[in-house]
Amino acid sequence: MKPTSSDRRALAAFMAPAIAVMVIFFIIPILYVLVVSCLKWNGISAPQVVGLENFVKLLKNSTFQRSLKNNIIWALVAGFIQVPLAMVMAIILSRKPKGWKFFRTVYFFPQVISGIALATLWRAIYNAEHGMLNGLLSAIGLGSLTTDWLGNSGTAFPAVLIYWVFYVGYYMVIMMADITTIDTSYYEAATIDGATDFQQAIYITIPLIKKTSLLTCVTLASVMGLRQFEQVYMLTNGGPNHRTSTMVLYMYERLQSESYGLASATAVILIIVGVIFIITIRTLFNGRGETVKPKKARRAVK
Amino acid sequence: MSETRLRPPLRGKELVLAILRWILIIFFAVYTLFPLLWLLSSSLKTNFEFLTKSPFALPAVPQWQNYTNALSVAGLGRMLLNSVIVGLVATLVNVIIASMGAYCISRFRFRGRESIYTLFTAGILVPLSALMVPYFVIINKLGLYNTYGGMILLYCAIGIPMSTFLIRGLMDSIPMELEEAAYIDGCGFYGRFFHIILPLSRTGIVTAATFQFLTCWNEFIFANLIVSSEKLRTIQVGIRYFTNQFSTDYVSMYAAIVISIVPSIIGYVLFQEQIIAGMTSGAVKG
Amino acid sequence: MKKVFALLLALVMVFTLAPIAQPAHADGEIVINFPSIWVGTDSKAAYMSELIEKFNEENAGSIKVVVEEQTDYQAYRDKIRTTVTTGNTPDICILDTTFDIKAYAESGKFMDLTPYLEEGWGEDFADGAFDAWSVDGKVSILPFEAAVFTPIYNKDIFEAAGWDHFPATYEEFFQMAEDVKAAGYNVMGQMAGENGWSSMLWYSLIVEAIGGKDVYADGLENPAFVEAAEVLKKMYDYTFDGAVSAGAADVNGHFIARDTAIYLNGPWWIANFYKEDNAVDGKLLADSVEVATNPVYEGGLGEGGLVTTVQGFLAAGKQDDPAKEAAVVKFLQYLTDPEHVSELALSSGAMFFVKYTPAEETRPISQKVTEVANNAAFTILHVNGAFPTAFSTEFPSALAALINGDVDAQGFVDQLQEAIDMA
Repeated sequence: MKPTSSDRRALAAFMAPAIAVMVIFFIIPILYVLVVSCLKWNGISAPQVVGLENFVKLLKNSTFQRSLKNNIIWALVAGFIQVPLAMVMAIILSRKPKGWKFFRTVYFFPQVISGIALATLWRAIYNAEHGMLNGLLSAIGLGSLTTDWLGNSGTAFPAVLIYWVFYVGYYMVIMMADITTIDTSYYEAATIDGATDFQQAIYITIPLIKKTSLLTCVTLASVMGLRQFEQVYMLTNGGPNHRTSTMVLYMYERLQSESYGLASATAVILIIVGVIFIITIRTLFNGRGETVKPKKARRAVK
Repeated sequence: MSETRLRPPLRGKELVLAILRWILIIFFAVYTLFPLLWLLSSSLKTNFEFLTKSPFALPAVPQWQNYTNALSVAGLGRMLLNSVIVGLVATLVNVIIASMGAYCISRFRFRGRESIYTLFTAGILVPLSALMVPYFVIINKLGLYNTYGGMILLYCAIGIPMSTFLIRGLMDSIPMELEEAAYIDGCGFYGRFFHIILPLSRTGIVTAATFQFLTCWNEFIFANLIVSSEKLRTIQVGIRYFTNQFSTDYVSMYAAIVISIVPSIIGYVLFQEQIIAGMTSGAVKG
Repeated sequence: MKKVFALLLALVMVFTLAPIAQPAHADGEIVINFPSIWVGTDSKAAYMSELIEKFNEENAGSIKVVVEEQTDYQAYRDKIRTTVTTGNTPDICILDTTFDIKAYAESGKFMDLTPYLEEGWGEDFADGAFDAWSVDGKVSILPFEAAVFTPIYNKDIFEAAGWDHFPATYEEFFQMAEDVKAAGYNVMGQMAGENGWSSMLWYSLIVEAIGGKDVYADGLENPAFVEAAEVLKKMYDYTFDGAVSAGAADVNGHFIARDTAIYLNGPWWIANFYKEDNAVDGKLLADSVEVATNPVYEGGLGEGGLVTTVQGFLAAGKQDDPAKEAAVVKFLQYLTDPEHVSELALSSGAMFFVKYTPAEETRPISQKVTEVANNAAFTILHVNGAFPTAFSTEFPSALAALINGDVDAQGFVDQLQEAIDMA
């Protein structure tokens, strides 16, 4: 709506804290990063202005290219495999099967377990000598498939990606909360019409959460995919030979090597790629015409 | 969904679906519980067992002293308390600021609205480790180096773009007509915010708050950078006593990790009813 | 546009001149801040804290050293870099070779210690200790903790494989390796995961054996680097499975489990040989191991050489206040006092660039390692220490590429060179 004149003052007051935070903690620092991205600077000696050279260097560098590619794959897998999986579980649990509260709690646990613990566990599972995965494969007669999962050039990145895809608790909880707000009379009517659970999910649940929690989760998951650092850092440190590297890890390594210019340029590219991602996802979800949202229309406030 | 819903007996396809459903439920439960159990088991081993035996073997004799070790060396109690204080306050302030901002961006058309929102979006993507120098300087210039205030402000700030994004997403889905009707009834700006929009966007606010709290809880780089006094150290700094590259006390590290996650798990289990209730209270049954 | 950029650049430079307002010292007491990683579970932690406490007691009312405990190496380095960049160099800090020490020494942000060293303090340090780290004859960054890297082997495993001595040449080394492997043991622990630490040390040993004293003189141009890469690759035939993704815990675990014959790490690890925790059937690991020296490479120039590094430098931020400068120097001199260093060495097992008389109760393995160090004809740094940080960041990746067959030995060296050029 258009703000009225009395709204305007209130509007300014409401925006002020957020704007102040954004100016101090984002605009100024991002300007800083932009400037440093045009420098050759080790943080201690006098900087040299090199213009866009850092960007050229990065885009030509095979490790950077691989990191960028890995991040894009990661974001896509997160948004379009992990989140749909979470959605399936949210739909299943929201039908309240036996023990659903217990499962809802348990699924969320990995979110609060520190990344170090998850990473060391999965290192152990993928370990070549006494790892669980190799043990399992040998036990079922597939011993020929055993390998050093995190050291093999072909398997390292899929291994890092796959284990993590199944930790869906956070997105599941978000979507479950949204699903429970759907008016039950829809399902009652559908059941009377003989619609199966599956049909109800496809025709009622998914359309009703699409623009709310589903969009939120897809965006969130993609962003987390693009910002991925901790898991690869602790699981493989980007190895073997950068097969599992990501942009933030690449940037962190540049910081460690005291190449502040390259690190900042990486950050700038990451931001640009991320904004493109977010805008694309938003368009994808909102683009195809306005669907009616009966759920929201039925919400009334007393 | 009504609990007393009548279901016809399961036939063919539906039976398969039901079985599939339970396979999925059990699979995910095992998948998520396993790390926790493994962590507990590892934290009760000796270093010799941990280093030389299968990582999936159970401890021969539970080594409870790993926990006393972790607690005595690192002084984790104080650090836990600091993490709770900083996390809670930063989360509270964060969601207040973010919901006010999100309300304006979501409900009003004004000049610069889209550019502000794009800026917020870009803020979500900024890799914070690139900002160590500017953040260090800003916190110093504000006179907040080595204070709770500095940590709270920084944590609150770095979460603003994400929280605004999450809350705005929810507010966008609230129909305009509701607010317009209230406006015609003479409800002012603040009234509409507090009585209509805020209750209806609880789902988004709680999602944002959970995310924000976990971010604060797990943050490490800045917790170390902008604080120097041991009195202000958070739990993430504490568990690094055992995870640094020259530490060889792996089992105490696991004990420290267990100690660091227990409060989050207890907190979640205790408050999840409230959290979920918060998430769903916007709904009104037909 | 240019003007705007210049303005912005000025803004960036403002960020580099943003010192924290220091609290005024009460009652004329000078407060020295010392962010330290020698805390917590570090082997030097106990004695360091005792020493600092004693210093504070002796100087009560005039000087107080306040330690800021740093628990994580990577985060510690981040903090030091950030504080130095923003003009907040700590009063005293510890640096290591992952910092560009030369650039730090040249920066003018650290206190020039030359005059104090020339007054006699310098004689406490090993001869030539400052040579590699001084700039224009001025010393501002003091090498303090030393490390030497020499193989340690398990006599019991050697015996089981029919060997009663450690190979004197690399040719013999690989014969031994065949025998040990045939007896069912791993010969050594290699790792290309994490930072590739153990393999980086082995590579340094081989580089030393082939290229000798001046191997670093022409950067990576020296053919020794390619040849050494081939030897290192061959060693991967004699390590445990999964070494490409392995980390320090894997390497350490295998040696403690007595299934691996040779171990290579710095002296700080010696204490673990004596831990009851690591004993099997009441036999300490220390009773099974023997200290060896780097084998000689046929046709190589490295005979008698030793791989070392500076594990920790001490540096002090530049001070404006002469009283504070004096206080900082007083503390540094206290810390590096040969008697204190002797105690520190005894309690931690670490080695130092300060000349000290080792305590009598020093552990036998430490004594033997010291002997190896004293007998060395010359020393070179490990490769991580000798090259810029971009090298050590790239090392595990280039190594994995070499072992997985993505590149050959020449390609391995090229990949490292590219990483250095990139930065």
